[in-house]
Amino acid sequence: MRNKVSLLILLLVLSITTNSTAQSTLKKQVDSLFVIASSGELKYRDLVKPTIEELASLGSVIVPILVDKLDTKSARERLTVNNIFKAIGAGAVPYLITSLKNPNGLIVQRVCTALGDIKDSSAVDALIAIADHSRWQVRDQAIGSVGDIADNKADDAVLFAFNDEIGQVRKSAAVSSGKMKILESVQLLIHQLGDDFYGARMSAAEALLKLDSTYIAESLGDSLFSQNSFVSSLGCQILGKIKTDIAIDILYQTFHTSTGSLKLSAALALLEADSTDLCGFQDEIMSAGFDKFSSLKLKSVLQASDTESDK
Amino acid sequence: MTKLIIIIFLIITPALIAQESEKPEQFGLNHLTEYLSLKPSDISFRTDYTEPDSFRLQIVADLMQQPLGMIPYIDKFKSSYVKKQPGLVASYLFADMKKENQTSREKAYYADISEIQKKYNLYYTDMTLNQLLTRAATYIEVIYPRSIDKSLAFLSKDEKKFLTHEFKELLVQRVSDELLSVEAMDSLEKVEEAYIEQFVAFGIKIDKDPIIDAGISSVNELMLEIQSLRRLLKSKSTTASKILSDAFELPDNINFDAYLGRQSGWKIGGTGNDYYTGDYKFILDFGGDDVYDLSYDPKNPHGTIIIDLSGNDSYRSQTDFTLGSGCLSVGLLFDFEGNDRYDAKSFSIGSGFFGMGMLYDVSGDDRYDGDTHVQGAGSFGLGLLIDEDGRDMYNAALFSQGFGFIEGLGSIFDIKGADSYYAGGKYKDILRYDDHYLSLSQGFGYGLRPFASGGIGAIVDIDGNDTYNSDIFAQAASYWWSLGIIYDSSGNDSYNCFQYGQGCGTHMTLGGLIDEYGNDVYFGKGLMQGVGHDYSCGLILDRHGNDTYTATDLSQGAGSANGAGVLIDNEGDDRYFIKNPKNTQGYGNPRRDFGSIGLFIDLSGTDQYFGNGQDNFYWKTNSKWGGGIDIETIKKDSTEVKDEK
Repeated sequence: MRNKVSLLILLLVLSITTNSTAQSTLKKQVDSLFVIASSGELKYRDLVKPTIEELASLGSVIVPILVDKLDTKSARERLTVNNIFKAIGAGAVPYLITSLKNPNGLIVQRVCTALGDIKDSSAVDALIAIADHSRWQVRDQAIGSVGDIADNKADDAVLFAFNDEIGQVRKSAAVSSGKMKILESVQLLIHQLGDDFYGARMSAAEALLKLDSTYIAESLGDSLFSQNSFVSSLGCQILGKIKTDIAIDILYQTFHTSTGSLKLSAALALLEADSTDLCGFQDEIMSAGFDKFSSLKLKSVLQASDTESDK
Repeated sequence: MTKLIIIIFLIITPALIAQESEKPEQFGLNHLTEYLSLKPSDISFRTDYTEPDSFRLQIVADLMQQPLGMIPYIDKFKSSYVKKQPGLVASYLFADMKKENQTSREKAYYADISEIQKKYNLYYTDMTLNQLLTRAATYIEVIYPRSIDKSLAFLSKDEKKFLTHEFKELLVQRVSDELLSVEAMDSLEKVEEAYIEQFVAFGIKIDKDPIIDAGISSVNELMLEIQSLRRLLKSKSTTASKILSDAFELPDNINFDAYLGRQSGWKIGGTGNDYYTGDYKFILDFGGDDVYDLSYDPKNPHGTIIIDLSGNDSYRSQTDFTLGSGCLSVGLLFDFEGNDRYDAKSFSIGSGFFGMGMLYDVSGDDRYDGDTHVQGAGSFGLGLLIDEDGRDMYNAALFSQGFGFIEGLGSIFDIKGADSYYAGGKYKDILRYDDHYLSLSQGFGYGLRPFASGGIGAIVDIDGNDTYNSDIFAQAASYWWSLGIIYDSSGNDSYNCFQYGQGCGTHMTLGGLIDEYGNDVYFGKGLMQGVGHDYSCGLILDRHGNDTYTATDLSQGAGSANGAGVLIDNEGDDRYFIKNPKNTQGYGNPRRDFGSIGLFIDLSGTDQYFGNGQDNFYWKTNSKWGGGIDIETIKKDSTEVKDEK
C-alpha cells in the first residue's frame, strides 16, 4: 500500500514537473518570438507579421503568457500583444474574461481593448459588468468595446455612460450608440452636441448620422435654437448632411426665423445639402446681407461643391 | 443726454480696446475653431492619460492643459534676454524649472566671505583682480561643492556614481548600434530600461535647485567683477602686464595653494598667445589668440570658471564635460572678444548635467562643434549658450542646440548675425530609416516614455538670416511631457528638417516655433509645420513676411492620434506646397474612437497653394477633424509695400 502511494506521489510530481517544464519551454518560445514580433526596427519589419502569425498558431495556451505582458511600458509591445490576441480570435476570449478581474487597472483596460478587437459576443456580459469600474480608462474601453462587438444586450450600459463625468467615457458612449444604432440614445446624443469635450461633441454628431435620418431630423428641429451654440451649429451641419426634404425644410425655416450665427449655420448647411440648387435657395442665401467673412464662408461652400462635382 | 453718451462711450471704449489688442493669431484661432464647431480650449490634454511621474516640470504640465498658451509663453521666454546680463537670462529660465507641485525652491549654500579670506593670502596687489579672484574662489572652493552636496544629499555613493555612468549612457549613442542583431538590440533596450527603472526609483531624491542657484549667483557676481576689471583696463590707468607683474615676491619653496590665483588648477595668462592644457578650475586670460586643450574628470567633480577677455581663441575638448560644462557642479566660460572656435566632445559648450553650464560669448564670428548634449543642453540642470554677436556656426550630432532632458533646460540665445545650425548626420535612425539620422536637437525637449517627463529645449535667435538644418526630431519639437521651442525674431530664415519638426509634438508633449519677421522657408518631409501626434500639440506661428512652406504629408496644421497641429501665418504673400492633400493643411485623424484637431490659418496676403487650401477660402477637410481659413484680416504695412517697389 505504502509503495503504491509512493508511486502515485512520484507520478504526480513527475506530471507537475513535466507540465511545469513544458510551460517553461512554451514561455521561452513565446518570449523569443515576441522579441521579433515587437521589433520596431526597419530591418526586421518584414519578420513582424509572420512571427505574429506563428505565435497565434500556438493557440489559446499562450494567452496567459501574453496577458502577463500587458502591463508593458512599451507601446509597441502592447500593440503586438493585441495583434496576437486578434489573430488567435475567439479562443483567447475565456482567459481574457477571467483577466478582467485582474487587480491591475492598466491590464484590465488593455484586456477590454483586446476583447473589443476580437469582437466575440461572449465577452459582452463581462464588459457590462466592469462598465462602472472606478478607473475611467477601464470604463472608456469597456463601453468602446461593447460598441465594437455591437451586441444590443449592452444598450443600457452605453446609455448610462452618457452621464459619466469623464469626457472620454461620454465620447465612447456616443461612438458605441452609433455603432450599435441605439435609437434611445438620440436625445442624449443631441444634448451631447453641446458637450464641453470636443471628442464627445463631435462623436455625438457622427453617431447621429448613423441613426434613422427622419427621426434625427425631427428630433433636431427642436434643438436648433438651443442656448448652446455648438448644438445649433452641429445640428444644422447634421441636417445639411442628412439632405432629406424634412431636413432641408427645417434648415430653410431656421434660416428665415433666426439671426446671427444660427442663420449662418442654417445657410451653410442648406448650401451643402443642395449644392446644385435644386430648391433654388442659393440666390436668396447669397443676398441675405451676411458680413464679409460669412459671405466668404458661403462662397467657399459653393466653390468646394463645384470642385467636388468636377472630380 | 450727454451723460448717456459718456456712459455709452465708457462702456464701449474698453471693449473696442480689447478687440483691437486681440492678436491676429488669437482672432484666427477663435475664427477657425468656431467655423469647425470647435473652440480654442478644445486643445487641451488630461494629465491622467498615463500615470504622472515625479519629474514633470510645472510649466510643461500647465501648458499641456492649454497648449495654445505656448504663444504667449514663447513671447515671454524670448524677453528673458537682457544684453550683457547672462545671469538674468539664467534666473528667468531657472524659474521655469520648477517641478509640478513643488512649493519652494532650495537655495545655494550661503558662504561667508571669511571662509575664503581665512584660507588664502593675497599674491597680486591689484584690488580689482583680487576681488574677482576672491569671488571665483568662494564659488569654486566653497559654494559649488557645498551646493552640489545639498543637491545630492540624499543619494548614496553608488547612486551618485550612477549619474555619470549608467544615466549618462541613456543619452549616449554609438554608431556601431546600427549593426546589432535584433536579439542584441532587444537586450540593449532591456538594459537601458533597467537603468531607467533603477534611476526612477532614486532620482526623485535629487534636488537640482541648489547647484543651479549657485551657478546663477556666481554668474551675476562674477560679471560685476569682470566688468570692473575690463573698465579698469579700458581706462588705461593700468595694463594687464602691470596687473600681473605687481605681485608679491614669493620664495620657490612656498606652498602656492595658499595664495589667491596661484592655487593648483588655477592659471592667469597675459596678453600673449597662451596654451592651456589639462583639467582646470579657473583660468583668466587677458588677451591673445589662445589655445585651450581642456579635460574634466567626472570622478572628481569641481567648478570651472574660464574668462578670456580678448583674442581669437581655440577651445578644444580632450574629454567630455568641458567648455562651459557643469557636471555635478558649475562650469562657466566667458569669452568677450574675437572670432573663436569651440571644438568639443560631448556634454560641453553650455551643458548642465546635474549642474549648470554656461558659455557666454560676447562678440565675433564663432564656430561651435560638438557631439552629444552640447550647445545649450540640460539634464537635471541648466545648460546655456549665449552668443551676443557675430556670424556663428553651430554643429552637433545629437541631443543638442537647445535641448532639455529630464528636469533640464537647455537653450541657445543668439542675438546678432546670420547663423547656421546643423544637428544630425552621425547616429542613424535605425527604427525608421536606412538613410536618415537622429537629431533630437534645435529646440528639443525629451523625456523617457513612459517613465520620466522631459525638460525644455529652446533656441532664441534675434537677428540675421539664419539657417537651421537637421534630420529626425528637431526644430521646436519634443517627445514625452516636454517642450521644444524656437523663437526667431528677424531675418530671412531657412528651416530644413526631414521628419518630426518645425512645431511638432509626439507623445503627450509640446512643440512651438514662432518666427516674427522675414521671408522664411520651411522645408521637410512629414510631421512638420504644426503637427501634434498622440495627445500632443505642435504649433508654428509666422507673424510677418512672404513665406514658403513645403512638406509631403501629415503636416501644415495636422493632428494625429488625438493630437493637435496648428499652423498660423499672420501676414505676407505665402506659398504652401504639400504632396499628400489627404492628411495635410487642416487635417485630423482618428484614434481611440475619436478625432484629432488640425488647424490651418492664413490671415492675409495673396497666397498660393498646392493642397487643400486656396486664397480667400474656408475649408473643412474630410477628416476627423480639421480645416483651414485663408482670409484678409490685416492691411499690409507701409514698409512692406515700400519693399515691394
